[in-house]
Amino acid sequence: MSEKLKRFTSNNKQLLIMLGVIAVVFIILSLTVPNFSTARNLTNLLQQIAPIAVMACGATYVLVIGGMDISNPAVMAASAVVGVYYMTTGGGNLVLGTILIVLTGTFLGLINGFAIAKLKMVPMVVTLSMMTIGTGLATILSGTRGLPILPASFSNVLNKTVVIIILLVVMIVMDFILTGTKFGRKLYYIGNNARTARISGIDSENITMFTYAISGMCAGIAGVINTASIATARANMGPQSQILDIISAAVIGGVSPNGGSGRVRDAVLGAVLIVGLNNVMNLLAVSDYYTTLIKGGIIIGAMGLASYRQQQAAKRGV
Amino acid sequence: MDNKLSLELKHISKTFPGVKALNDVSFSAQPGKVCGIVGVNGAGKSTLMNILGGIHQPDEGGEIFINGEKVVIADPKASTELGVAFIQQEVQAFDTMNVYENILAADLNKWRKKHSLALDRAAMKKEAQVHLDALDSHIDVDAPVYTLTVGDKQIIQIARALSQGGRILLFDEPTSSLSDHEVAMLFGVVRRLKEQGYIIFYISHFLDEIFELCDNVVILRDGQLVDQAEISDINKEQLVEMMLGYQIEGNTHSREHAQDEVIFKAEHISGEKLPRDFSFELHKGEILGVWGLLGSGRSELFNTILGIDKMMDGKLFFKQDGELKEITQKDFYKHIGYLTEGRHYDGLFLNMPICQNITSSDLDQFAAKGTGILNPAKEHVESRKLIEQVGVKTPDENVKVSKLSGGNQQKVIVAKWFLKDPEILFMDEPTKGVDVGAKNEIKELIFDKAEKGTSFVVISSELEEIMSLCDRIIVIYEGRLVGEVQKADFSKESLMKGIVSQEDKDAE
Repeated sequence: MSEKLKRFTSNNKQLLIMLGVIAVVFIILSLTVPNFSTARNLTNLLQQIAPIAVMACGATYVLVIGGMDISNPAVMAASAVVGVYYMTTGGGNLVLGTILIVLTGTFLGLINGFAIAKLKMVPMVVTLSMMTIGTGLATILSGTRGLPILPASFSNVLNKTVVIIILLVVMIVMDFILTGTKFGRKLYYIGNNARTARISGIDSENITMFTYAISGMCAGIAGVINTASIATARANMGPQSQILDIISAAVIGGVSPNGGSGRVRDAVLGAVLIVGLNNVMNLLAVSDYYTTLIKGGIIIGAMGLASYRQQQAAKRGV
Repeated sequence: MDNKLSLELKHISKTFPGVKALNDVSFSAQPGKVCGIVGVNGAGKSTLMNILGGIHQPDEGGEIFINGEKVVIADPKASTELGVAFIQQEVQAFDTMNVYENILAADLNKWRKKHSLALDRAAMKKEAQVHLDALDSHIDVDAPVYTLTVGDKQIIQIARALSQGGRILLFDEPTSSLSDHEVAMLFGVVRRLKEQGYIIFYISHFLDEIFELCDNVVILRDGQLVDQAEISDINKEQLVEMMLGYQIEGNTHSREHAQDEVIFKAEHISGEKLPRDFSFELHKGEILGVWGLLGSGRSELFNTILGIDKMMDGKLFFKQDGELKEITQKDFYKHIGYLTEGRHYDGLFLNMPICQNITSSDLDQFAAKGTGILNPAKEHVESRKLIEQVGVKTPDENVKVSKLSGGNQQKVIVAKWFLKDPEILFMDEPTKGVDVGAKNEIKELIFDKAEKGTSFVVISSELEEIMSLCDRIIVIYEGRLVGEVQKADFSKESLMKGIVSQEDKDAE
């Protein structure tokens, strides 16, 4: 029994640490910050976490293969605007419109993947370009006056509870695919050593392409969630700085920026921490200027700690 | 050079969690002598080097004396300051920079002009030239390093060590990527350094080199010093026995390779540069050797056939359903395994457990059809079986591959391809950087598998090895097929014949 427990702790170290940190922070905040532990604030918090967390799931896949996708927030906004444009100005069906949002994200991600895997372009350059393309597309379609408001039924169906369920489903499914299936294992192989993966007969090209498409799909799903919460779509709903929240959620969750390791569920917990931080500073009425400063400091500190722990582990293991 | 240069190690032990890597090792080295260090993988050579390099600290009670003074080598910087310098197996160089910049790269601050950020390049060139002259080398200090041969880069590494004040020089497998000619040149340099009174350690798996170059030899086994012997007092068999702790039995396999069935045929294979119009046939259960000098296009031949490099021209035929049919490279890859030359470069997933390394060659065996859901329990069982079959020394299959010694890592790659159990296994230097014991074991594994019907195509630059392993050898020179020798006619002369005649032709 104790042997089993030991195995479980060593396999799920990151999860336990994250849960511990979140629990401690939660308790401190409930005791010290007024209004923090109210049901209203907590559901609000979960709703804010959801889009970042969903995109962090996609970012985890990309980081695991040793890649980088900074186009996520822009792709999210572009997909949402395309879908809402179809549903309002185009007079389209709400269900089809929702699907269109996810498909647009997937398609833009696929373009990223094609350029990176087949044309052998540098991920940073490709996704940086996609970031401006996405923002451009969203700005053009939403026009100067912005898109009209969606019928109330849209936000009623995709209410807070549904959003949280979407997040949980995305997390569980993606975590399982990554750790329990052939496809997921291949991502780890590629991130660990792409050359060895190729020699081992793994079709790195197509898998890399799909990975970026999945990242785009996650941006699409996040687009649906964000659309539901503001009942329309705007070009500025995915500020470019949001990519920092997404990537650092994954990295704080233990996903290696060098590729080859990490789990989706831990990245989601990372998103809980990062977005929670925003929320707390909001409640404490910290000025926006200081918020970015403090957040940057905490992210660097947390990543530094993670990196230090890795080095120590490597040293001990020699 | 001052006369009092000396190095003495006393009672050096090093304990890692669960392993005693070194156990009470004491020896000394004198200037003007080359001291070989030998031992199978895991004997403690690397740990010893890491202690001298300041990467690891010896356990309490171990003492190091340099020039008679007790020293503590706290970190790599301290090691350099004490005059210890390493010449590594993999050449470390800044390829796009010039020779002199490479030689003096370690301490550029020293070469700054006064009150300026600019470098005094004239003085640097002069200094670099001094060190190259000391090595009797004719390398141009202005040449960009990427234009040099591997052997010349090795010389630059030595010059760099000297420029940093290195007086205790440790050569770690320096010849593993050098051609015969370059090895001879390197030996010349080492002998010159020896005459100048440096302390030289020479680590190598190639025992012939130890006998040719060294004056005495330190033999390690399981972390213990077996002996420090004068090289003139022992012979090769004795040395191997001391390294292994037992005698190697002669080759027990007297294979009669009698299968005539052609399983694979390559026709007119041409790559972008090498190979050129290369054709050969492979029989079922045959071990076919590909022999050629360094740079002859051996590895390129494999890479081109298997689609790692671009194939410009040529056709592959593979026996399926009893018939030799043309096959695409992509489909062919499903039937083969490829053990590459660079274990760390493209052979292993270093940060992943042994188990997942082994199963990477054929995940389909462990995945449910349709869903692709893996069965980890089955993975563990199958990889444990293979670990036992090929003899990887490890506590269990969950150990990261990076923690294993070179020989065991190589066996993991062998296990990985045995898991897939392909019809043809391509092996590029299957025993490179592997000790004598593991070498023999890998050879036995290849024999066993061939007897069961797997065909092998093997590259090896060690003549002895390729002749003892293969049923037939084809000779490659400048990317072209220049000879084929049957087992009965194996000899250095018969293999060289094709190359020599080709060189004559070129000369005309």
